[in-house]
Amino acid sequence: MGKESKTIWDRLEDIPREVLYGILIITFIMPMLFPIGFPVPISPEVQRWYNFIDNLPAGSAIMIDFGYSGGGEPELGPMAVAVYHHIFRKGGLKAITMSTSIEGTLLWDKAMAEINPAQYGRQYGVDYIHIGYITGTETAMAAVGKSIRATTTTDYHGASLDSFPIMNGIDNAGDFSLLICYTTGGDQSEGWVRQWYTTYQTPYLCAVLAMMVPTMLPYQKAGQIVSLVSGAQAGQMELLVGKPARGIKSADVITMTHILCLVLVVVGNIAYFGKKFSGGKK
Amino acid sequence: MADFATVVQIWFAALFTIWIYSIAFRDNLFFKFAEHTFVGAAAGHSLVYGVDNVLRYGWAPFIAGNYLYIIVFILGLLLYTRYHGDYFWVSRFPLAVIVGIGIGLAMRTTVTAEFIAQIQSTAGTKLLGVDAWTAFSNLVFIIITLSVVYYFIFTFPKMHAGGLGIISTIAKYGMMAAFGYSFANTVLSRYNMIFGRFDFIMSTWLPLPYAMIALPVALILLIYSMIPAEKRPWPKTQK
Amino acid sequence: MSVLVKRTIPIAIVFLTALLFLCEFFITIPGIDFKSTATIVNNWGIILTAFTLGFGAVNLFIFHGRHISRRTKGQWPFSLWLLIVIILFTVVGVSTGASSSQYTWLYNSSYFALSATVYSSLGFYMTSGIYRALRAKNIESGLLLIVGFIVLARNAPAIAAGFPPIIPWAAWLSAVPTTSAQRGIMIGAALGALALGIRTMIGRETGFLGKLTEAEKGG
Repeated sequence: MGKESKTIWDRLEDIPREVLYGILIITFIMPMLFPIGFPVPISPEVQRWYNFIDNLPAGSAIMIDFGYSGGGEPELGPMAVAVYHHIFRKGGLKAITMSTSIEGTLLWDKAMAEINPAQYGRQYGVDYIHIGYITGTETAMAAVGKSIRATTTTDYHGASLDSFPIMNGIDNAGDFSLLICYTTGGDQSEGWVRQWYTTYQTPYLCAVLAMMVPTMLPYQKAGQIVSLVSGAQAGQMELLVGKPARGIKSADVITMTHILCLVLVVVGNIAYFGKKFSGGKK
Repeated sequence: MADFATVVQIWFAALFTIWIYSIAFRDNLFFKFAEHTFVGAAAGHSLVYGVDNVLRYGWAPFIAGNYLYIIVFILGLLLYTRYHGDYFWVSRFPLAVIVGIGIGLAMRTTVTAEFIAQIQSTAGTKLLGVDAWTAFSNLVFIIITLSVVYYFIFTFPKMHAGGLGIISTIAKYGMMAAFGYSFANTVLSRYNMIFGRFDFIMSTWLPLPYAMIALPVALILLIYSMIPAEKRPWPKTQK
Repeated sequence: MSVLVKRTIPIAIVFLTALLFLCEFFITIPGIDFKSTATIVNNWGIILTAFTLGFGAVNLFIFHGRHISRRTKGQWPFSLWLLIVIILFTVVGVSTGASSSQYTWLYNSSYFALSATVYSSLGFYMTSGIYRALRAKNIESGLLLIVGFIVLARNAPAIAAGFPPIIPWAAWLSAVPTTSAQRGIMIGAALGALALGIRTMIGRETGFLGKLTEAEKGG
């Protein structure tokens, strides 16, 4: 005879994706229009990262790899900005940046515009510099580790490295007290462990996308990474540094959207088991 | 107040964002336009930085007196013989150099970083002299690590038969827990990225003049373009 | 002779280049300076890799050029636009500089926004996947579900602040099953990578050579 009518379980299982996406979009927008101000606890790894930089002696040189792409900027950008605020505010540190990502130099410009180093009295070429994008990932890391000047003699604008006071006495991995990497690529985050930590034992702070954290955890457990954080923890770093910005703004939205996910998991499984135990197939 | 160039930049970025997100609902012409712009931009950007790197790290040392670099330029150009029907094999020479460098650099430190250091760390996990919960956790850690290594190295069926099957079961359970963790973190990552774009739309684009009018117009045009061609009044596709 | 030139010599180049870097790291022989030679070759590698960045554009020109010449219905105008974008980026970037204000404007108005949005759009599909696919159908999927559920709750800052026990639960899941399983995978992958590297050096893996003729396969 005619087709069977849909049970409540069938209807629950077959909610159109457009409805799901619509609910998701509303869940994103509502906390942005009406902020709630949920609290954000500081995690141990973010605190460890902050403490390590805070305890660096004056004159320490930091190699920073701006290795993330435009796709990861919404997550890693706020973390990079917050850490730069910390480095510039602390003072006395030399931040030498390179990029293993093809978009790294342009994203660094974006970050610098957001930070405004001049507010801390920091000058390009004296307190911070960018030596440019270098192709080859591990090939670039190994080359720079051996000798920066054998790899490149200019900064990313083409000016001679020797014209910048920050580069005095800085040429290879042995001259750096710390390595920081922000990346969306496993090649970069793991490559620095192989090319700098394993070869030169340079202390390494690594910030990756949240989805990459599990693959990097073994390195942290083995002591090869001092602190492994995800860009999603940028809000916590902003709180520690005292510069709330994009990272902390996302806290309300992340809470609400994750609550939505939990509800979807529960409802989806209720529909599945309801159908199963009421005699429905599959 | 932002200058005109910045305003135009924000408008382009906002429209591209909306057009790309529209694929979540239906394929449409605006998405296709944005998608092709993305692919073209990615390729063009790679080309720009390829040229920049060749000039910066190759040409500059060459004109400074390092004439041996002529070999590198010749090898680099020979890479493009791969597109020739008869002489594609010439590209194998420069490719071999790249592959050899990659293998050498990776292999020499993989042994230490991803093998010895990991085994040392696992072997140094304490079972005695710690509280009961830590000892239990460490024991579970060691068992899962060894099970997963066994699971991937010994792939012959008889190595997982009978009583040995418990090892692969433990390995699968451990990996499922790891994948569940990865899944949750992936959701966090993607939602953070979506927030970034929504924040841009709401905080940077919508405050601009006429953007609040443009948003519903863009959405209506998008919905219209999602209607199948045969059902909409214009444009119709020709059979 | 032909096989020697087309197959054996490239494999020999791979072997000798890789051996140079291995010797630089592991072996010290008085009178032989591996480091200087390795540094030069390393820097050559950067330039050669830079040359490979043009492959994407060339492939796209070939592929979309065919669509344009054949006037593929519904596709060729987009293909034409794609090639125009490549040319626009290249002309502006090469003529004004990769970090010029003009190129930065072009990048920020198009590529950056598109890249960020494309990456993030997968979040919508994940939401659909959470609802439709995350089911406790058996022990393994149940385990994935439970761990995922706990970590999703932990990743919501307000839930972590409002229900503090979830923090050590998620920390345990991260420190024990996740790290141990990932470590096991890493060790297995490292062994595989070593084996692949050695096989490539001795010519047993020839994937990088591309298509092989019958004579080259036999060699």
